[in-house]
Amino acid sequence: MKIYISGLYSGTNPQPGVGIARSVRAAYPDATIIGVEYSNRCSGIHWNDFDEIWLQRPWEEINIEVHAGEIKKVLDSGALWISSIDLEIMWLAKSFPDGHPNLLIPPITALEQVSKPAIPAHDGFPVKISPFISTQVSDWELHAFCREHNWMVWLKGPYYDAVRVRSWAQLVEMRHLLSTAWATEDLFLQAHVSGYEESISLSAYQGELLDCVWMRKRDLTEIGKTWSGDISEVEPELREPLCEIISRIGWTGGAELEMIRDTGDGMWLLEWNPRYPAWIHGATITGRNIPAKLIEAASGVPGQKAASQGNEFTRVVLEIPLRPQYPLSPLPEPFPGEVGHSMKHPSGLLQFAGMLHKDEKSGSKKKTTTSAATPVPDTFIEDLNTFDLASLSTPTRIFLENTAAKGFRDASARAEAASTDTIRVTNAYSIKTDPDERLIRLALESGFYAEAISIPEVRKALDVGFRPDQIVLNGPAKWWQKETLAEHSFFTVFCDSLNELDQAIDRLNSGGLQTEYIGLRIRTPNVVSRFGISIATPDEFNRVIDAVRRIPQTTKLGVHFHMASSNIGIRSWEFLFQSILRWCSSLEALTGRLIEVLDIGGGWFPEDMDGGADEGRLKKAVASIPDLLPHVKQVLCEPGKALAQPSMALAMQILEIRDEEEHVHDVVVDGSIAELPMHFFYPHRILTQNGSDLSWTPLERGKTRLLGRLCMEHDIVASNVELPKSARVGDILVVCDAGAYDRSMSYVFGRG
Amino acid sequence: MYLEGASTGIGTIESFPAVAPTLPEVTCEAISPQRAEVHATWQHWEASRISHHGESCCEVAREWLTATDHTHLGSGSPFTGPRWLRQRFRWGASRFPIHWCEAVRKKTLDCGAHASLAYEVFRFRGVPVLRVQMVQQFSEIAAFQWTNNWNPDNADELPWIDRDLIYHEGCAILTGSDRIKVWDSSAGWWLDPRPSEGYGAMRAIRLSDASINHGEASLKWGMNKLPISQWSLL
Ligand SMILES: [Zn+2]
Ligand SMILES: [Zn+2]
Repeated sequence: MKIYISGLYSGTNPQPGVGIARSVRAAYPDATIIGVEYSNRCSGIHWNDFDEIWLQRPWEEINIEVHAGEIKKVLDSGALWISSIDLEIMWLAKSFPDGHPNLLIPPITALEQVSKPAIPAHDGFPVKISPFISTQVSDWELHAFCREHNWMVWLKGPYYDAVRVRSWAQLVEMRHLLSTAWATEDLFLQAHVSGYEESISLSAYQGELLDCVWMRKRDLTEIGKTWSGDISEVEPELREPLCEIISRIGWTGGAELEMIRDTGDGMWLLEWNPRYPAWIHGATITGRNIPAKLIEAASGVPGQKAASQGNEFTRVVLEIPLRPQYPLSPLPEPFPGEVGHSMKHPSGLLQFAGMLHKDEKSGSKKKTTTSAATPVPDTFIEDLNTFDLASLSTPTRIFLENTAAKGFRDASARAEAASTDTIRVTNAYSIKTDPDERLIRLALESGFYAEAISIPEVRKALDVGFRPDQIVLNGPAKWWQKETLAEHSFFTVFCDSLNELDQAIDRLNSGGLQTEYIGLRIRTPNVVSRFGISIATPDEFNRVIDAVRRIPQTTKLGVHFHMASSNIGIRSWEFLFQSILRWCSSLEALTGRLIEVLDIGGGWFPEDMDGGADEGRLKKAVASIPDLLPHVKQVLCEPGKALAQPSMALAMQILEIRDEEEHVHDVVVDGSIAELPMHFFYPHRILTQNGSDLSWTPLERGKTRLLGRLCMEHDIVASNVELPKSARVGDILVVCDAGAYDRSMSYVFGRG
Repeated sequence: MYLEGASTGIGTIESFPAVAPTLPEVTCEAISPQRAEVHATWQHWEASRISHHGESCCEVAREWLTATDHTHLGSGSPFTGPRWLRQRFRWGASRFPIHWCEAVRKKTLDCGAHASLAYEVFRFRGVPVLRVQMVQQFSEIAAFQWTNNWNPDNADELPWIDRDLIYHEGCAILTGSDRIKVWDSSAGWWLDPRPSEGYGAMRAIRLSDASINHGEASLKWGMNKLPISQWSLL
């Protein structure tokens, strides 16, 4: 009996070839096992269970049609072929559309059924699939997905590679790297599932499940690969549906179902690999030789029974001698000025993926990028149409008046709707977000309070027309330039430290400070922040309790909590909010003081405040307060960023179009990141105007970069857009979502 | 586990309803004398408790503990093990009696104190929880090192160590009507109910808590059926 086994890479992210060979050898001591590899750098070729090595050149040097013909000869000669390289399996399934009795891989239809991330085959299997989204949707939607899932998301390639992305800048960078490496835009983002890694490995032949085992990872490597595990039976309630699925999709070969068991014992299916796992020999030594079952079914020759040596296995690192005919290759020299030897996949899998994609594309003429632009709200267009953009000197910030007014109106309505019989919800406009007087005035007219972090901001609010008792004071340096302000009685003052609270208590007692409420900003224990009063240790918590007890009874008590949901994610915000309620209720119980005002901060992304599934988010949060804090009368909500961000756009002009090989790669504009400092934190929608009918359309995603006017390396206003073919020097581009911190934190640079 | 004065450490606590004062004699099935000895040394020990001064000092400490747990748990299921406790409090010798206001300020706590904190945290999350006493097997070398490390001045025998066996505490949560998971609060992991032998293996276990009214005479831990308030050999 001759058995070919491919995929012998044995590094830290190993392929299963060596493990399969060991298992096959255990069952068939006399079989001729031939290892197939595409690089002599794959150390598995030296493993002594292989009788011969069929070493091919790396994929990029192979004529794959000739190679398929050679494999056919091997199969026709009666030898069996077990592939453990995902890409090779996909290619072989296509190259042998009618299969071959000796080719022990699934048919292409079955492979389609197990493709990531949806894994359609899982229908009927009691597992869930974690939420995912294709990266071919607009950046705007991708950012929303990440916020929804608390930035606990993975960016995954079509076959291999998964990187955790924690920020927008990282997502953009990794998307570029992965799509370049795998020559496809077809990546996806998937929400992280936390729990234990467990998997099923199985053998099947022509739709019959031959055997399967359950494995729990008991030790993992730094990149999450199995180091130790235990093996057990697949429970009947899983085995039965699995049998049914295998039969339904007509599976042949090995497979591994990678799953997560969450802390509530729920099962999530991450991947269905079309091959054995690299730990497969771990199952064999527990007495369950899964690959042998496949050989047995395909050849009709029964294998020797495996002896069980317990139900657990582990790995060790071994040094072994080389096969003399395959001496080591030279080690590549580090590039000048670089660190390390920059070793790529030795067998050229990336290039192979590129070849397969090219085949696919030429076959189906699929467009590499799909339309990935998000339409902007109608008010953006209405507002833009009131400007004669040609007459403006660019770059210039455009105030979108109707958009801003609608935002403030909606926020008031939302506060109204969230108010209850006992709790009044009031918006407070955070001046620092965008100190534009037009916005402060809109806030005043919309019944907002003004939130200030310094005396100059207080003065500005008073100038616009706010009364002192409509002013909320926050921040670590709120008394900066105190001498420039006459004495006033504020609505509330939230202290950022215990020192400040102590001083405020002294001033309250001496009459030096007048405020209806005095409060403290609390920092919850697991939050890394420079703001607020820590309660991370029992002593700190004790000091807070002592200080609150000293607050004069004549001043009422408030608490401020502020975590930007746009940074930590929506669900995380909700849990932190509940956690703050919990701390406040402890504070009430231990001090005997009642908390009557709760400032829940801001930092929402505009779309997370209103619209769609988020309707009623504020209402829900407010409704949950009385359970823990029955005395709260007023909730302050600070939707500054949510209101200011969409209220402005930045118009810029194309200065130069650099085209290469019929494709525009770089466009220089007169805008820059000095006007868009938040460019790294969230995507901006960009509009372009059609020269003839003057209509506005959002730019789609593409391969063009908008280079800013600054002579700075990282001044790239957009890195992946598609300009219309008609774009000319002098055309205006309008970058939306450029209010709030884009405006307040913009800086002057390169203007002489 | 360091049980010096443990029997006097039971203070005025409302969180731990006292277990039955007289413990039933362990009913072991026909087992070899050698196996019956496994828990003999500790068979009348009760799970350790943290005492309460009956004043706000201890109340503040408990509020801090449970509120901190609430924050750490975040979006996690209430069945999540409170690993943060083990991260915050190293495992080592504790002196009993110990009060809440003292325990939360320690850098080091023993398994009895760890288990008491974890128990309180689960109880506050609304998860039905029991105390667990265990006998684990390690090795004579491990016992020798613990003895010297916990008690460097006079390397007296520690009461929780008997040759290669040790007395240990944790807690168990009810995950179904009669199913439990056992949390080793000093290791910060869930113990595996599958039978095992050798280093670290659990040899005997006793669940206790009068506050759980499950109507079941015994609870299932993996394939094991464990009667409440009795030592079971594994
Ligand atoms: Zn106390
Ligand atoms: Zn212990």
